[in-house]
Amino acid sequence: MASISLKNVAVNFPIYGAGAASLKKTLAASVTGGRFGKETGVTVVQALSDINLELKSGDRLGLIGHNGAGKSTLLRTLAGVYEPSSGEFMRQGSVASLIDPSLGIEMDATGIENIMLRGLVMGMSKKDLDRLTPEICEFSGLGEYVNMPVRTYSTGMMMRLAFSISTSVEADILLMDEWLSVGDAEFTEKAEQRMRDVVSKSGILVLASHSPELIAKECNRVIHLEHGRIVEVS
Amino acid sequence: MSQVHSNLHRSALADWWQGTRRTDIWLTLAWFDIVLRYRRSMLGPLWLTLSMGVMIAGMGPLYSSLFGTELSRFFPHLALGIIFWAFFSSVVTDACNAFVGSSNYLKQGYFPISLFVWRSLARNLIQFAHQIVLYIPVALWAGISLSWSVLLIVPAFLILIINAHALGLLLGLICTRYRDVTQIVTSVMQMLMFLTPVFWLPESLPGRAKYVLWNPFAQMLDLLRTPLMGGVAHLHSWIGIMVWTTLCLIAATLLFSKYRRRVVYWL
Repeated sequence: MASISLKNVAVNFPIYGAGAASLKKTLAASVTGGRFGKETGVTVVQALSDINLELKSGDRLGLIGHNGAGKSTLLRTLAGVYEPSSGEFMRQGSVASLIDPSLGIEMDATGIENIMLRGLVMGMSKKDLDRLTPEICEFSGLGEYVNMPVRTYSTGMMMRLAFSISTSVEADILLMDEWLSVGDAEFTEKAEQRMRDVVSKSGILVLASHSPELIAKECNRVIHLEHGRIVEVS
Repeated sequence: MSQVHSNLHRSALADWWQGTRRTDIWLTLAWFDIVLRYRRSMLGPLWLTLSMGVMIAGMGPLYSSLFGTELSRFFPHLALGIIFWAFFSSVVTDACNAFVGSSNYLKQGYFPISLFVWRSLARNLIQFAHQIVLYIPVALWAGISLSWSVLLIVPAFLILIINAHALGLLLGLICTRYRDVTQIVTSVMQMLMFLTPVFWLPESLPGRAKYVLWNPFAQMLDLLRTPLMGGVAHLHSWIGIMVWTTLCLIAATLLFSKYRRRVVYWL
C-alpha cells in the first residue's frame, strides 16, 4: 500500500553566495514566488511552508502554480531529496521520480550503459537489469541508437530514454514534472498509457504541470501552490 | 529505493550502511568515471600508468644525483613515494568534490551520501592499481628482497582505507558547505608534498627538523612504503596514525550524523 503524508512541512533554502537581498531582488522575488527572509546574514528562501497533504493509493494529484511557486520543490521533497526543515514527512512505497530526466544521464556513455547506470542507481540489481534492458530499449523506440553515446541524441530522444528507464521499475509512486510534451505525438501517447498503468496498479501519481487540460485529464485531485503555500484544494 | 521514508525515525549508522552495502552501485559508478574519462583515447586508462612511469623514470636519476644517493637505493624510494603521494593527494582533493560532483544524483532522489564517498574512493583505488604495478619492475631492477614484514602492508592499507573514507565524509561535507575549503585543501596538499618524505630520504633530516615526520601523511607513507622496501616501519608512525585515525573517525561521525541529510541543500 502506497501512502504519503505531510504534516506542517516547511522547506527553507539557505542561499549562499547570493549577497544581501537588494530591493530589486526582493521585488523580483515577490513576483516570482518564494518568500525571502534574512537569517544570520544568509538569505533564506522559504520554498514551502505549512504543507499538509495526505495521499493514498489511487490518488492522482495535480500540482499547479506559476514558475517558482514550489511545485518542483514539493516533488523533490516527496522524492526524499530535501528533508523538510520542519514538520513530519512519511512515505510508504517505492518511488520513480521523473523530475528532471536529464539529470543523471552520462553524455559520453551509450544508451545501454545509461540504462545500466540509472537502473542500478534506482535500486535495481544487475540481474533485474539484464532482464529489463531489452524491454526498456524496445519501449524507448530508439532502435540502433541505444548503442550510440547519448551526446549524439536529440533532446526528445534523451527524454524517451530517461522516461523508459525510470518507469520500467515497478514503482508505487510516480513523481513527474511536466516534460512529456518533449516527445513526439506517438511517444507521448505511449508514455501517457504507461503512466496510467502505474496508477492503475493502485499507485500514486503526482504531476506538476502548467497545462490545465493535462491535469484535468490525468488527475482526480488538484492543489494550487502559490509562494510555497497551498492556496486552493479541489 | 527504500520502501518507507520519513524524516522522523532514522539512525545515522543505518544511513551509512545503506550506502556502504550497495557495492554494485558505487563500484559501477567509479568504473564508469574512469572508462568515460578515457573513452575517446586509444590507450585508455593505460595513460595513468604511462604518465606516472615517465615521471618516475625522469625524476629518479636526476634526484638521486642531486641528493647524492645511490640510484638502486633511491629509485624504489622515489617510485613508491610518488605513487602513494599521487593516491593520497587525489583521494583528498576528490573527497572535496564527492558530493558536488554527484549532485546530478543527489538532486534526483534520496541517496545515502556514504555511497558517493565510496564511489570517489573506489575511483582512486582503480587509478592506484594502474600505477602501483610500476613498482614491480623498479623493485626487480633494484634487487629488493622482501621479508615476512611485508605482510604489515595489509593492516596499513586497511588503516589507509578507513582514513580515506572518514576524511572523505568529513571533507565532502565541509567543502560542500564552504566552497573555499576546496581551494585551501588543494594548496595545503601541495605544500605537504614537500614536507613529506616523498622525494627526500627521512634519514637526511637534521635532528631538530624531525618534527616534520609527525605529519600524518609522512606516517602513513612510512607504514606503506617501508614494508614494500623490505624494512619495518617506525613504531611512532603506527601510534601517530592510530591517534589520527581516531580523531578523524570521531569528527566524521559527528558531522555525518548531524548534516548527512542537509548536504543536498548546500549543492
